[in-house]
Amino acid sequence: MQQISLKLKEEVMKGVAKIPIVVDSLTPDKLFGKSESEIKAEKVWWGNRQENTGDLFEVEVDGEAGSASEVKIVLDGDLSRVKYIGAGMTAGEIEANGDVDMHCGAMMRGGKITVHGNADCWAGREMHGGELLIEGDAGANLCAMYRGEITGMTGGKVVVEGDAGECVGQYMAGGEILIKGNVDILAGLNMKGGRITIEGNAVMPGADMTGGEIIVKGKVEDMIPSFRFVEVSTLDGAQYRKYSGDLAMTEKQAKGLLYVRA
Amino acid sequence: MVEELLIKNGVVYDPINGVKGEKKDICIRDGKIVEEVKNPKVIDAEGRVVMPGGVDIHAHIAGGKVNSGRLFRPEDGRKGIEPKTKVCRAQSGYSVPNTFATGYRYARMGYTFVMEPAMPPIAARHTHEELIDTPILDNAALPLIDNNWMTMEYVKSGDIDLLAAYIAWMIKATKGYGVKIVNPGGTEAWAWAKNCELNDAVPYFDVTPAEIVKSLAEANERFEMPHSIHVHGNMLGHPGNYVVTMKTFDLVKGTKPYRDRPVLHGTHTQFHSYGGTTWGDFESQAKAIAEYINSNEHASIDIGSVILGDTTTMTADGPMEYSLYQITGRKWTNHDVELETGTGITPFLYSGKVSVHTIQWAIGQELALLIKDPWKVALTTDHPNAGPFIGYPILISMLMNKRRRDESAEEMHSAIFDRAELPSIDREYDFYEIAIITRAMAAKTLGLAEHGKGHLGVGADGDVAIYDITPEERDDAGKIQKAFLNAKYTIKGGEIVVKDGEVVAAPQGKTFFVTPECDEKLMDEMMAKLKDTFEHYYSVSFANYPVQDAYVPNPYEIRAPWRS
Repeated sequence: MQQISLKLKEEVMKGVAKIPIVVDSLTPDKLFGKSESEIKAEKVWWGNRQENTGDLFEVEVDGEAGSASEVKIVLDGDLSRVKYIGAGMTAGEIEANGDVDMHCGAMMRGGKITVHGNADCWAGREMHGGELLIEGDAGANLCAMYRGEITGMTGGKVVVEGDAGECVGQYMAGGEILIKGNVDILAGLNMKGGRITIEGNAVMPGADMTGGEIIVKGKVEDMIPSFRFVEVSTLDGAQYRKYSGDLAMTEKQAKGLLYVRA
Repeated sequence: MVEELLIKNGVVYDPINGVKGEKKDICIRDGKIVEEVKNPKVIDAEGRVVMPGGVDIHAHIAGGKVNSGRLFRPEDGRKGIEPKTKVCRAQSGYSVPNTFATGYRYARMGYTFVMEPAMPPIAARHTHEELIDTPILDNAALPLIDNNWMTMEYVKSGDIDLLAAYIAWMIKATKGYGVKIVNPGGTEAWAWAKNCELNDAVPYFDVTPAEIVKSLAEANERFEMPHSIHVHGNMLGHPGNYVVTMKTFDLVKGTKPYRDRPVLHGTHTQFHSYGGTTWGDFESQAKAIAEYINSNEHASIDIGSVILGDTTTMTADGPMEYSLYQITGRKWTNHDVELETGTGITPFLYSGKVSVHTIQWAIGQELALLIKDPWKVALTTDHPNAGPFIGYPILISMLMNKRRRDESAEEMHSAIFDRAELPSIDREYDFYEIAIITRAMAAKTLGLAEHGKGHLGVGADGDVAIYDITPEERDDAGKIQKAFLNAKYTIKGGEIVVKDGEVVAAPQGKTFFVTPECDEKLMDEMMAKLKDTFEHYYSVSFANYPVQDAYVPNPYEIRAPWRS
């Protein structure tokens, strides 16, 4: 195993306007096999400028790795404006100690990201595989498609221990999402496949869904009227009202399932 | 800017001047081709293929609907993102690239002129604003004139002279180049949720599309217009429409052009060459259309060939876009342009696994290969409707290489073997014919050759493309595609704008516009009616309508005198 520690220097986030940093170049795939000095020379965008990683982060490398999957990157410091953490990664591990900015784990295909804090919007966007654990809350568009696209998350597993924002899993086509808290409006909007489990409450889940399933263990507020009640069914020993929909997408396409705790 | 330039050792293909792959020096001074130069900067082409700058006869690159396409397809904007450089501004987009990307990518393909073929007259300023922001390319735009209330009223009264006065005013007011026709009558009928076939009456106006096309062709020829009418006929994209297409071409058979050029240019003819009665028995009728073009002299076409993959369809043909949206169920937008025209936009994916798309893909290439005289055909994709212009190099490599076509056909839906002609066609284009369909034909048909476009004769604009391929390498399809995607050099008005496939300078292009000169008495008579129309129906006042000179910062005026 190899651990690459990247601690964001305090002075970088000192200004009145905290200028965001884009770190999609700092994944286990891209840093594997690089020496400390090579990592320091790796380019990251800081606002509209490209900077050396070593100028923004304190870099420490510990141990050896035989492949990208043996690389673990630990991010420390004020990460609240650090975007695209682990974006596109296929292997290895990233641990972020603190709240992170948008697009964490976007388009990831493998490996694991753990966020010890909150993640801003678009976490797990268009994710195809791997694991994303957010110990705090997630912002809007978790695991959704990006603007205009018609496919969101297609694979992998995401766990949010806190709450999640609007439009969780929009256009989701595969994979699993578990939210331990509540979600804001329109979870599973346009959903085509996969599963979203919400342990707390949800508002208008499943609008325009044509496939996949949504399980709400708490209460549903403003249930979409175009869902049809099917039966009361039992999941893990508890009783749920099972609905199919969304019939607004025509009878033929309404292949989605929504379970609400009875 | 280099004042003198000498291109040595190139193998030159300059069809307008009959130069067919000759080793020939090209001299440029102050932006123009000259006989000789004294103290030039020298480019050694080292035996590479040299052609005049490319001329695109039909590509939707600027204006309201292009921009709506960009706005409602942010997912397209994600593709092709390139940060700014010292020379270039930031680029984005694939099927609806931003204006900067449009200019740079065309220049990298060796093109120096593009015709924007659908300018809604009332929104002409928007089109010109975007053309100003499209670097390098010289340009022009065709105003949409056919679904216009004034036009239909004059067609109904049969007064071709007054119609001519109206189109003269309209082309002048929009700083346009000629007469564009899009689903004549059909776009207006769409306001009644209807569409029109060639001989259906347009609701309220009680004229037929056939009458509109014929009248506009005659009105156009009242002037010494550089270009013929530019026609997107009725029933675009409908199975069996090839009959309508030939009937449309037939309408103007008797119309006399003012000079030696066709009286009708049928655009994106791939979309108009469909046989069958439904999508189930859909088949290619490119052969019938090609035979028609082969045996007639009054019509030219561009192919509008399909590039497989995702694209954004956009046209003034509102009902067609609605039909397409009903097939795909994807997002769709629609717009009515007052009393002039309309618009529809929807994304589309051409897949080689789908029988209809495969046949469409074949038809465009069949047209190019079955029409014997390349001077009647221009290479287009009706960008972005059948695919983005960045796909031209793919098409060029297909037309030049039968093996490549056969290999592609093998991987596509088997319908290509029973409902299309392409696999049975052996013809291969050579560089000379490619030079015709990518520059010379368009320059000639648009009447731009005498204004310096599309050739390398003395006095022509110093627009030259040097491709990184030699005539001996013509069998290497991969190399052809690569060479035509990124020119070794593109020279625009004597300035090197592309070197080794990279944009190294981005000057502003010229805008060509036509000023038809109408008989004053006729104009006065027409004006009285026009002012009345403005007062009653337009949302803008008559005085505020015409595009002012500031919108054409780099103008090139072509006068079109009245023919007495």
